[in-house]
Amino acid sequence: MLKEEFRTHASYSGQERFLTFPVFVFFLATIFGMTLESMLERMTLTEMAFMTHMSVFVYGLSVGTFGLMGKQYLERRYGRSNFLVAMPYLLPISFRKTFLGIYVRDAIFYVCLLLIPATMGLVLSSWYTGYSLTSIGLFFASIMLTFMVGLSLSFFASVVFIRSVKWFMVVTFAVIAAFVAYGVLGVIGIETIIPSMGLQLSVRPFEADAGMAIVYAAAAVAEVVVLTALSYYLVEIRIGITSRQYEDLLPSYRARVPVLKGLYRTLVAKEFVDLRRSGTIAKMFFSFVLPLLFLSLTVWFVNYGLSIPVGFNSVFYAAMVGFVSTLMYSWLNNIDLVEYYSMLPVTVPQLIRVRMGVFLVLTLGISAFFVIAISAVNGDLELLWLALVVMFVTSLYMVAVTAYLTGLKTNTFLFDTSVLGKFSVMSFLPDVGLTILSFSLVEDWYFAVTGLALVLGSMLITTWILYRGIDAKWSKTAFSD
Amino acid sequence: MPIIEAKSIVKDFGGMKALNDVTIIVEKGDFFGFFGPNGAGKTTLIRILTGQLEPTTGTVQVLGVDVVKSPMKVKEVIGIVPEVESPPTYLTAHEYLYFVAKVRNLDKVDDRIEEWLSFFDLESKKGTICKDMSKGMRQKLMLASAFMHEPELLFLDEPFINLDPIYQKILRDYLEEYVGKGGTVFMCSHILEIAERLCNRLAIVNLGRVVAQGTKEDLLRNGESLERVFLRTVGGEALRRRS
Repeated sequence: MLKEEFRTHASYSGQERFLTFPVFVFFLATIFGMTLESMLERMTLTEMAFMTHMSVFVYGLSVGTFGLMGKQYLERRYGRSNFLVAMPYLLPISFRKTFLGIYVRDAIFYVCLLLIPATMGLVLSSWYTGYSLTSIGLFFASIMLTFMVGLSLSFFASVVFIRSVKWFMVVTFAVIAAFVAYGVLGVIGIETIIPSMGLQLSVRPFEADAGMAIVYAAAAVAEVVVLTALSYYLVEIRIGITSRQYEDLLPSYRARVPVLKGLYRTLVAKEFVDLRRSGTIAKMFFSFVLPLLFLSLTVWFVNYGLSIPVGFNSVFYAAMVGFVSTLMYSWLNNIDLVEYYSMLPVTVPQLIRVRMGVFLVLTLGISAFFVIAISAVNGDLELLWLALVVMFVTSLYMVAVTAYLTGLKTNTFLFDTSVLGKFSVMSFLPDVGLTILSFSLVEDWYFAVTGLALVLGSMLITTWILYRGIDAKWSKTAFSD
Repeated sequence: MPIIEAKSIVKDFGGMKALNDVTIIVEKGDFFGFFGPNGAGKTTLIRILTGQLEPTTGTVQVLGVDVVKSPMKVKEVIGIVPEVESPPTYLTAHEYLYFVAKVRNLDKVDDRIEEWLSFFDLESKKGTICKDMSKGMRQKLMLASAFMHEPELLFLDEPFINLDPIYQKILRDYLEEYVGKGGTVFMCSHILEIAERLCNRLAIVNLGRVVAQGTKEDLLRNGESLERVFLRTVGGEALRRRS
């Protein structure tokens, strides 16, 4: 299974390129470690640990969705890809054991891909900075546990989703309620939800409370074990031929997009039928809303929990909403295989453009709702028009960057170091610009708005260039591998 | 003028030559059979001829169009049935044919859909989504989608696979009638008895090279069957290993 996962990623970007990803992480962590002292002038070590653990937790959450993907792999088993998750059909092994195998595989694969190289980078930087190797070791142990908590929680939620959407909503709201109880109401600590965070704060360089460290470590392990055991028990694969007859949706959906003509009208309508029948809209909604909720709680925590008055406003949120919305585009590329397009007079760039259009329709409604809600809660409705412009341009820019760099295989190409490097630079630079300028709105309105206009203008020009470049970059690519 | 003219085709996959100096000429009205053992390069050639894959070197003209330069022009006028039946997961049989008809900008869409659903006995399954269909049903749907725009050239990669004997015969009869009316078929198949009955021109490929090519009469001399010629031409080593 590990070999299969490696080859799946390596098959698109090439083995050497894929292997440079952990090397890239290693050097990034080394630089981070070496510049940590100067960063500590702006931020405390506790805040930094909090941010790191939260990011790793979200990383674990995203990896653990294989409970859903496994089902999709099975449904695609007659296509060109045939994964080991389909083993129970051919060999005397149960789905439960296969899924447990995938769980262990993903835990090992993604820890090796990111957490180990990052820790090794910190170890290397310790020669320069003199950090204690024991502290780095304990840091690794705690973030690994945080990753496992995220992975197990996500695995649990995804197997519940397969069984019952209603119960999945219950689990999701329970998780959201726990974070609200921590971030908004302040009635519980983060270590109640993620005990490994407590472990981190109980050991050096924070405290040296071995007793509490053991308690938190045991609690984190127990949380992982309980969630994994429940997931193992609940794993269910519902596949098989059903006799259900479906209503004809495609002609009516096609009739609803009269703005488009000819080929694009048909392709867009088909994407919406796929979205509805595959149930992807619900998954998209949660994958979009959860990071935004996480961002809101983090901001709340920094502002009120840590009492650091940072001038977050709805313009800043709008930019973040735009950056996060790119997740939707990757979901669109995961709904179904696209081999059948090879038989038709349709090109890869045409389908990319169609998905960009569908992305814009999907995100703009949800994004606009989110930005308006944040603006209302934040009490800065006078900035709403600017926030909406920022959100719209950022979403447009991010989907153009993602579509240009990754085509129809977003998840896979983002593991190609060369693509990831370009993606990081292209998203980081405007992100920094928009963040700084949004914070400057209070102090110097004209300077900030002029700056925002320049950054957004550059983003629009880049969007146009990338959009035009999609043909040249992807026209020779085949739908099938 | 040949309807397919592929000259000196080489396809190199990172050092592995899937096709090596392959030249194929197919005339209008031919029922051309392309045979070979597993991994010989049959599907690769079909993908090159239909504009899905570019050759490393060599030239390909289909219906007078340079496939490498204008693959979409070729796809507009040909019908393709791939080796793997993979219609879109979430469309119903009716919706898939509607989708294909609209993508191909066809007229009389409803009539065509009804005609082909009826031809392949899929009327009762027209509201079933593709992921809930059996392999045979999916194969019928792929065939219907390739036939519904009445192309003058068909590329069929294992068209009889997964079909029951009744539909194998129905398809055989349809293809004979299609060629009789002036259509052209380029077919890969491992079902040699059917191929022998249908094809008028044949080529056998092994390890990426065409090892025999000509009319059926030329290749099947002395009353030999296609299976015998095939085994004699490319099966020698495998058979020796077994014995």
